Amino acid sequence: MLTIPKPQTINWQPIIKEFEAILGKNNVVRTREDLVAYECDGLTSYKQQPALVVLPRSTQEVSQVLKVCDRYSIPFVARGAGTGLSGGALPIANCVLIVTALMKQILEVDLENQRVIVQPGVINNWVTQAVSGAGFYYAPDPSSQIICSIGGNIAENSGGVHCLKYGVTTNHVLGLKVVLPNGEIIDVGGKIPEMPGYDLTGLFVGSEGTLGITTEITLKILKTPEAVHVLLADFESVDAAASTVSDIISAGIIPAGMEMMDNMSINAVEDTIASGCYPRDAVVILLIELDGLEVDVEECSRQVEAIARNNGARDITTAIAPEHRLKLWKGRKAAFAAMGKLSPDYYVQDGVIPRTKLPLVLAEIEELGNKYGYKVANVFHAGDGNLHPLILYDNSQKGALEQVELLGGEILKLCVRVGGSISGEHGIGADKKCYMPEMFTDADLETMQWVREVFDQKNLANPGKVLPSPRTCGEGAKPSHHQLLEIPRF
Amino acid sequence: MEATEIHQAFIEILEGVVLPSSAQLDQIKKSLTPNSELACVIYPRTQTELNQAIALASKHQIPILTSDSDLNWGGLVDFPTMGIGVNSSHLNQLIDHAVGDLTVTCEAGIKFKDLQNILAKSGQFLAIDPAYAETATIGEIVNTANTNSFRQRYGGIRDMLLGISFVRADGELVKAGGRVVKNVAGYDLMKLMTGAYGTLGIISQVTFRLYPLPQSDRTVIITGKADAINVARAKILTSTLTPWSMDIISQGILIKLGINAEIGLIIRFGGLNQGVDEQISRLAAIAQALNLEIKALTGNKTWQDMQNLFWQSDPAIICKIGTLPNLAVTNLLKISSKTPSVALQIHASSGLGILKYESSNISIADIQQIRNLLVSTGGFLTVLEAPINFKQQFDIWGYAGNATGIMSALKQKFDPQNILNPHRFI
Ligand SMILES: Cc1cc2nc3c(=O)[nH]c(=O)nc-3n(C[C@H](O)[C@H](O)[C@H](O)COP(=O)(O)OP(=O)(O)OC[C@H]3O[C@@H](n4cnc5c(N)ncnc54)[C@H](O)[C@@H]3O)c2cc1C
Repeated sequence: MLTIPKPQTINWQPIIKEFEAILGKNNVVRTREDLVAYECDGLTSYKQQPALVVLPRSTQEVSQVLKVCDRYSIPFVARGAGTGLSGGALPIANCVLIVTALMKQILEVDLENQRVIVQPGVINNWVTQAVSGAGFYYAPDPSSQIICSIGGNIAENSGGVHCLKYGVTTNHVLGLKVVLPNGEIIDVGGKIPEMPGYDLTGLFVGSEGTLGITTEITLKILKTPEAVHVLLADFESVDAAASTVSDIISAGIIPAGMEMMDNMSINAVEDTIASGCYPRDAVVILLIELDGLEVDVEECSRQVEAIARNNGARDITTAIAPEHRLKLWKGRKAAFAAMGKLSPDYYVQDGVIPRTKLPLVLAEIEELGNKYGYKVANVFHAGDGNLHPLILYDNSQKGALEQVELLGGEILKLCVRVGGSISGEHGIGADKKCYMPEMFTDADLETMQWVREVFDQKNLANPGKVLPSPRTCGEGAKPSHHQLLEIPRF
Repeated sequence: MEATEIHQAFIEILEGVVLPSSAQLDQIKKSLTPNSELACVIYPRTQTELNQAIALASKHQIPILTSDSDLNWGGLVDFPTMGIGVNSSHLNQLIDHAVGDLTVTCEAGIKFKDLQNILAKSGQFLAIDPAYAETATIGEIVNTANTNSFRQRYGGIRDMLLGISFVRADGELVKAGGRVVKNVAGYDLMKLMTGAYGTLGIISQVTFRLYPLPQSDRTVIITGKADAINVARAKILTSTLTPWSMDIISQGILIKLGINAEIGLIIRFGGLNQGVDEQISRLAAIAQALNLEIKALTGNKTWQDMQNLFWQSDPAIICKIGTLPNLAVTNLLKISSKTPSVALQIHASSGLGILKYESSNISIADIQQIRNLLVSTGGFLTVLEAPINFKQQFDIWGYAGNATGIMSALKQKFDPQNILNPHRFI
């Protein structure tokens, strides 16, 4: 039932007029040079200009825009800050890109009930900034938190370094205002969890812009913990660090975050920001953040240190003062960017494994890298087994991206083979949909398609993303360059 | 189809088919409209048996009531034609307790209690404190989003469910999510199925996130004047204390616990010994400053007593309610001022709660009035348990939103013949 009209049949003039009437001339972007800024998201190897970009300011405007799209059967793609790493906000040909950049209001701060209501274009860390003076914070903290939007976080069900203890985005969203693809507005959830009826809030979070556009989001905020310790431990083997991770969890300690960086990442970071904190000769380091009540944190800190030493940690540094903690974290936060210095290009993969399988999987990833002839660095959320292998390559070399995508695909299959998932936080988007059958049967995918059809009968909301289509994926897993053939690569 | 034909058809594909005993029938009938007729109850023992049974029901459009235990929450299921009961309690295998990964995968018919006992051997637990903890199955708990005070620290069932398998109305087995603690591949059907009361599919297997059992687990009760309790509530929630559970409880509950007070806070801390001690002494300081009485309790008996008070006593009207947390005390007082014996327990952070009346004391109009009170301030009231005639006359869900269209369309898509617990929700 693909009802997307052929490009040549669309007469954009009346459509543009309608959008301009709804949004004002300035908020309809149509010239090629202006559209350049919107032609890709964080998956920068694929670019595609949309036909138009529109910038609504309110729920009503989004609704009116979607009604026009519905009437003309024009596909649309929502875009927040465009930092997504799976091509979720990558425009499709002849689509309208709906950008939430003007929807940046924090609509309500209800400290008494610990809820905040925001528009989707609000940047993740603005929420914490708005409530930190009163001693609260918003827990999900993707590394991109100073630029990514809450709307994008909702769509991707984003995670962050503190998700080990506090959960991912979905665990902090209570309600949504959603504009359905036909322009109808619905309210799901509220300020109270588990409202009567199906949990459409839970269903919408993580739906990657395929079920509609959310225009108001009710978030839960938490109290800032009393004490925070960050421990940096360095190890001479992956096994030792991985056993430390397992032993900490088995001891009943749930750190706020537990991150691992390998030797290549350590050196990349030290080359670029010279933090002086990470020993260059360590095989891996673990960064462990503990938070809570002072007495608890002190005790857990002691236990974690003992566990790390037992597993052969060489040095352990503990940071308590905020500036010292920041210093330890700085390298981790800069790790992706540092890769840019090591290599002209890098490809971030995102997969999940049971954390007990870490040593095995990291060894296999190294082997796969060797087989394909690419270096793979690892910086990741060890506590919840969420890997981020970074494949270093040079895009100017012909065929390199294709090889790298194949290698990335092999890594995903490995994750599935050991009982994991093809995405922990970056989403499926355009990039990984052909790997969905690695995890899901035809019947599983058909059931997800049912959900999509219920929300979007005309298949206008981010069409072609998330769920594999036989046309682009054919039989079996394929990296994105096969399905995005018509899209220019950079 | 006639009852005997249906019975025969199921006997041909699975062994566990029974004509319910009169006791069983009495139990099941609490979930059915009086004119619904039941041919038999089936007990699939394997995934394949369950798939085949549902496929058969689908082929002949035989309506299904799912029921594993005494738990009979939700709207009355109404069979337009002769139907069957599906009891998943024989589909009760533990599939994988991944101790190092703090996850467990099990079949849906396993009893919560049995699963919890297995996990405890490894020092872990499922952070759920459901109603009917002795008898309810995991599948029922997911269907009804059934957890209680642990929501304060651990969230709802939705927050713990990592993966799910269910049999669709056409007999096809499908899954979503996975077995790892972090996963965003595909739509989150775990959330869609949680609290869907078996109207979209029959859950056959689930994976949960687990937590380590705490070294120390202590409970205190604070009582006193309502105003002071309300201040204490707000103070605790904005302090750095991290209670596991924190409930506001009504006079009706306190009296049954042998405490004479108009309102109370019952608070549970878990964790390392020193931490728990420290939290309790800070709590005591808050209570004392407000002239409130604070009493340490031994063990978990009080929590057990409260559960029994709600779920183990005589017929009643039991509702799940929601209120904005900052209005919880006010609303509780308004509700108990009319009927002082009402048992009302509200979770302080989420604003969810359980409300129980002896059925003779309360009319439909009274419940409607309480619903109005809650809805007018952003909350809700859903009836979980009530006599059949009550459920027949009252809109038990009280859904006041504007997404009925999508909900109905989901039901229609997932169950076009309307055979899965028809009319229980939509
Ligand atoms: C340096 C870097 C570090 C990162 N670190 C992390 C990390 O630690 N954890 C993590 O999870 N991710 C991380 N990401 C990925 C990315 O930042 C997140 O996925 C983020 O949530 C995307 O937000 P955005 O506003 O940029 O969304 P976009 O990229 O604009 O859009 C993402 C998806 O959301 C949809 N969308 C946007 N707004 C709406 C809306 N209002 N309604 C419905 N759908 C909408 C889009 O259609 C698209 O499918 C990182 C990215 C970068 C570049």
